[in-house]
Amino acid sequence: MYDLPHARSDVINSDCKISARNVQLYYGDNHAIKDVTANIADKTVTAFIGPSGCGKSTFLRCINRMNDTIDNARMEGTILLDGEDIYDSKVDPVQLRARVGMVFQKPNPFPKSIYDNVAYGPKIHGMVRNRSELDELVERALRRGAIWDELKDRLDEPGTGLSGGQQQRLCIARAIATEPEVLLMDEPCSALDPIATAQIEELIDELRQNYSVVIVTHSMQQAARVSQKTAFFHLGNLVEYADTGQIFTNPQDPRTESYITGRIG
Amino acid sequence: MSQHIVFSFDQDLQSVQAKVMRIGSLAETALNDAVLSLETRDVKLAERVRTRDTLIDNLTEDIKVSCAKLLALRAPTAVDLRVVLSVMTIGGNLERIGDYAKNIAKRASVISENPPVSVVHPLRTITDFVVHMISDSLDSYIQRSQSIAESVLIRDQRVDEMYTALFRNMLIEMQEKQHEMTVGMHLQFIAKNIERAGDQATNIAEQTIYLATGMKPNDDRPKRDMTSYETLRA
Repeated sequence: MYDLPHARSDVINSDCKISARNVQLYYGDNHAIKDVTANIADKTVTAFIGPSGCGKSTFLRCINRMNDTIDNARMEGTILLDGEDIYDSKVDPVQLRARVGMVFQKPNPFPKSIYDNVAYGPKIHGMVRNRSELDELVERALRRGAIWDELKDRLDEPGTGLSGGQQQRLCIARAIATEPEVLLMDEPCSALDPIATAQIEELIDELRQNYSVVIVTHSMQQAARVSQKTAFFHLGNLVEYADTGQIFTNPQDPRTESYITGRIG
Repeated sequence: MSQHIVFSFDQDLQSVQAKVMRIGSLAETALNDAVLSLETRDVKLAERVRTRDTLIDNLTEDIKVSCAKLLALRAPTAVDLRVVLSVMTIGGNLERIGDYAKNIAKRASVISENPPVSVVHPLRTITDFVVHMISDSLDSYIQRSQSIAESVLIRDQRVDEMYTALFRNMLIEMQEKQHEMTVGMHLQFIAKNIERAGDQATNIAEQTIYLATGMKPNDDRPKRDMTSYETLRA
């Protein structure tokens, strides 16, 4: 099984946003990402799928240097964002994370008002000069997060008092507020009911107009519904990376086929 | 391909494919018996062919319901999706073969009321050839064999040639023996039905190639049915 060819990772797209080259990631002695090379397109939803522990979330976290916060994590290889090496010593990880936003599995609003949840990022990054600009930015982010109409009269209420689906959309609005170029989503719907999930999926499709979206999901159907490109990870390898339609109707690698059809691989 | 983690998914897929094989067997028999009823002027056999077509129709409907359930409940992907899609299409192809057989049986009953003519014998040759194609197309499906499927596709040209030759002969016969016009017209439609059954066998073979490879075969095979251009020479 291990001598099977790895993915043809050079999915052709002239509008490449992120370019990962020979990425290796180690947690101590554990080799979690094995020589992954992939281009991720702009204004496209790219789904990462694979069984638990396959490295998909770890690879996602490489893209905004979240693994820097883990003591024994060590990365090799390069990741370019618009051609610039994000692991260059001159790059400030905090500034990088404003450009590469992240939404997590469990909605995690700050214990602050709805307004402050969204306003926090723009304020610390000095993106606004006065209150009226901040108001406009908060409204724009909540509108893009498809939650403005529900929350516009409750901006002073705590974000933690919202329903799960609303909290997650608030977190997406918070991530959007710093005007990122890339949005990373780590199983954003796994804690949500089907209606909230549908709302987030609809939102992801809208976000694609402006951002490069990368989503990690355990739901095969969700990957098929929301993404244009799909990457299948297994045991730290990028096994197959192709158009989503191709992956779900005619995958080329038997490991992908076994996984997506629910067979024992 | 190994088994699904959910065993009942395998059972559902096997069950729906078994139904296709059952229809396939019924359709082959129906076509064979319809032409036999014509050759032997056996009106009772023709009647049985017509009656048994309901069984084919019901099984086809049953396949559609099973496939709808599979799509809704299992959300199949990759090869499983191709199995469901190909089963739905092949069910339709076999139902059409059943319809052609039924039509032949109806015409056989009419023909049996008229005096015998000589052209029936060549219909046996094309019928055997087409029934063999149907049988091989179903074998290719169940064995997931691209090579058998391709051999069926190639044979369609021979069916076209046989049909074109029959068409010409019938035109000449009818010109000479105008009192056999009624029988001749019915035989003309019967020959066309058999030729179309051959087309359905090639459709099944194409579905097999799609199932086995995920790709549709090229549709650039030469066509040899020249009857659209045939005229009576004065």
